[in-house]
Amino acid sequence: MKMNKRLPVVFVAILLMGLVFAPLAPAATPVKIGFVYIMSGPFSAYGQFAKKGAELAVAEINAAGGINGHPVEAYFEDSTGKPDVAIRAFRKLVFQEKVNYLIGLDSSGVAKTVVPSIPQMKTPLIITHAATPDVTGSVCNRYVFRISVNLAQNVKAASLLAAETGATTWTTVGPDYAFGHQSWEYFEKYLKAIKPGMTFLPKDEVAFPPFKTTDFSPYINKVMQSKADGVLVSLWGGNLIDFVRQGKEMGLFNGKKQILITLGAAVEVLGALKDKMPEGLWVGTRYWFLANDSARNTAFVKAYHDRYGEYPSYNAHGAYGAVYTYKAAAEKAGSIDKEKIIDALEGLTVELPVGKITIRPEDHQALTDACWGKTAADPAYPIRVLKPIKIFKAADVTPSVTDAGCKK
Amino acid sequence: MNGAAYVKKTILLILGTALLLAAPAILPLYWIMITTEVLIMGLFAMGFNLLLGYTGLLSFGQAGFFGVGAYTVALILSHGGTSVLLSLGAAVVVALITAVVIGYLCVRRDEIFFAMITLGFGMMLYTVAHNWVELTGGSDGLPLMMVPPLSFFGCEISLFDPVQMYRFVLVMVIIGIWILWRIVQSPFGLMLTAIRENRERLAFVGANVRQLRLAAFVIAGGVAGLAGGLFGLFNAMATPDIMHWSFSARPVLMTVLGGMGIFFGPMAGAAIYFGLEQMMTHLTQNWMIFLGLALIPVVIYFPKGILGSLVAWKKTVPQKRKKPLP
Repeated sequence: MKMNKRLPVVFVAILLMGLVFAPLAPAATPVKIGFVYIMSGPFSAYGQFAKKGAELAVAEINAAGGINGHPVEAYFEDSTGKPDVAIRAFRKLVFQEKVNYLIGLDSSGVAKTVVPSIPQMKTPLIITHAATPDVTGSVCNRYVFRISVNLAQNVKAASLLAAETGATTWTTVGPDYAFGHQSWEYFEKYLKAIKPGMTFLPKDEVAFPPFKTTDFSPYINKVMQSKADGVLVSLWGGNLIDFVRQGKEMGLFNGKKQILITLGAAVEVLGALKDKMPEGLWVGTRYWFLANDSARNTAFVKAYHDRYGEYPSYNAHGAYGAVYTYKAAAEKAGSIDKEKIIDALEGLTVELPVGKITIRPEDHQALTDACWGKTAADPAYPIRVLKPIKIFKAADVTPSVTDAGCKK
Repeated sequence: MNGAAYVKKTILLILGTALLLAAPAILPLYWIMITTEVLIMGLFAMGFNLLLGYTGLLSFGQAGFFGVGAYTVALILSHGGTSVLLSLGAAVVVALITAVVIGYLCVRRDEIFFAMITLGFGMMLYTVAHNWVELTGGSDGLPLMMVPPLSFFGCEISLFDPVQMYRFVLVMVIIGIWILWRIVQSPFGLMLTAIRENRERLAFVGANVRQLRLAAFVIAGGVAGLAGGLFGLFNAMATPDIMHWSFSARPVLMTVLGGMGIFFGPMAGAAIYFGLEQMMTHLTQNWMIFLGLALIPVVIYFPKGILGSLVAWKKTVPQKRKKPLP
């Protein structure tokens, strides 16, 4: 069922923001940005982080005079992680709230199903989390962009790491929908090319627990009893938290197997697990707040920490970065016209906390570095941090435009 | 029905249709899309009401047929189908066939047993849609990459445009409603009402109650298939959630809200349902609480539903006025 998550709090916040900024720029029309993330259910931490990142960016930009002089207004909707709810949210934002620009999407499944309908709304959408290669590949279109690391980039980095771990037989635990299956498919493809002679367990011996699973013990058992000495884990969110908790109790992380968790360095997950997160696991992320000490990143982490008392996750960074990407595109275009923004986004280079990203004009995928690291305890932080941190250059992990397969 | 009332009803219907046709000129685009959804869900609920209101059978598996319609359209159009009308036709046929098979096993039971068996079959269909990943895309759903344009006498209409989609849905829904109207007005429709009132008596006078019920079940399934196909086109996707039993509760709620004893009741119920949702989501994220708050007094004080009570009230007013006249 459709549920609107525009909490009264946000309402008040927007009203207050309106009151604060109305006297500063009374004549300028606001530019409206609509956000669609998972705001309820077991994956809601992602939506909450994204919202915090978005609100920080909007507050900063408004304090500095807005985008091309227009004050920014933010609208938030809940996708609940379901494609039919997400499409209604987009319709509401575009046709009712009349937003200029869309940001969002956590689940790859939702993204793939919703993306073909975006051209109908004639509004640019920046995807900041959903990783399926299809939205910048087989189902790509003029209106959809992605500024975060996609599945292919992340798994390519995982394969480069896997080749160095010493493990020779690989299995996987992934969510039982396209994302989990594609992660495994790409991993096999890339790792075979990097280091021939690796063995991959057949489809019936790997584990794909359904999205709604809460008891992972049968899947953990399956992996522990298999002859594999390396495990690629592509679970995320609530699933990953449950999996790590139960896997730790059952002894999965005792060092016998090499474990690579593609989305393990999400602050949403690390924050929920705290010291329950085992040390010495390879975990991937789209952005890590300690990965670089550029002035841009330091300022972002400080502003975020001052405002919310916690460290930004990759989802917070994604929403934050997407707002700044829009600002850069609007300045490049000298306009907030939707079609002109799209032209400006194509080929745009912008510096975000994660580093410089460039949006490829051919498939709208951003060239952005992939980040992995080994979990480690650090008394200075309440959560596990990454030591060492490995950055994979965008050029080394991004598939070519031909391989991405986008035909706009 | 006497002549004057018939003329009055016809005028009302023509006025209503004209208003709906002119709606895109008056309403903002967002509300046109909401109205599209109201029409689709209203048709779904009106088909369902043939079972609940006319035949006295509470089915909790109607979402299964709705979903079958949506998936049929999505599968045909994503596998090279080029005709929207043919895919909709196929949606109705597949839903009819599914309803014959399931209905054959359900119509022997009454009341709660009937409700539970239909719920069980509905969940079976849901599980097929959810787990047969190769065919249906599993929980991701099946996106419609493109909706082919309609061609009428050489001119092409793009259903990508929400206004054209609205007009197309309106025409399809009117056809669906017209078929349902002919059915409830026919002797067959009267027999269905007789089943609701007293099925033993009907059986004694020689009617085959089981066959009649099956016929009603199949028609309701076909209408659900049509509505589901339209829903698939409108959202450009088919997802397993529209087959879940909680989705089957929607036509039940809409019918009870609008009034199950009256032909247009479920459509009014759908309008109230979506209107309430749009109004309440501005105030709270938990709009279902207000739906519940509205539903309780309707069930207790207006068992005929909102539209049903309005019509009944209108009928009593002139009668009272007539009595004192000499």
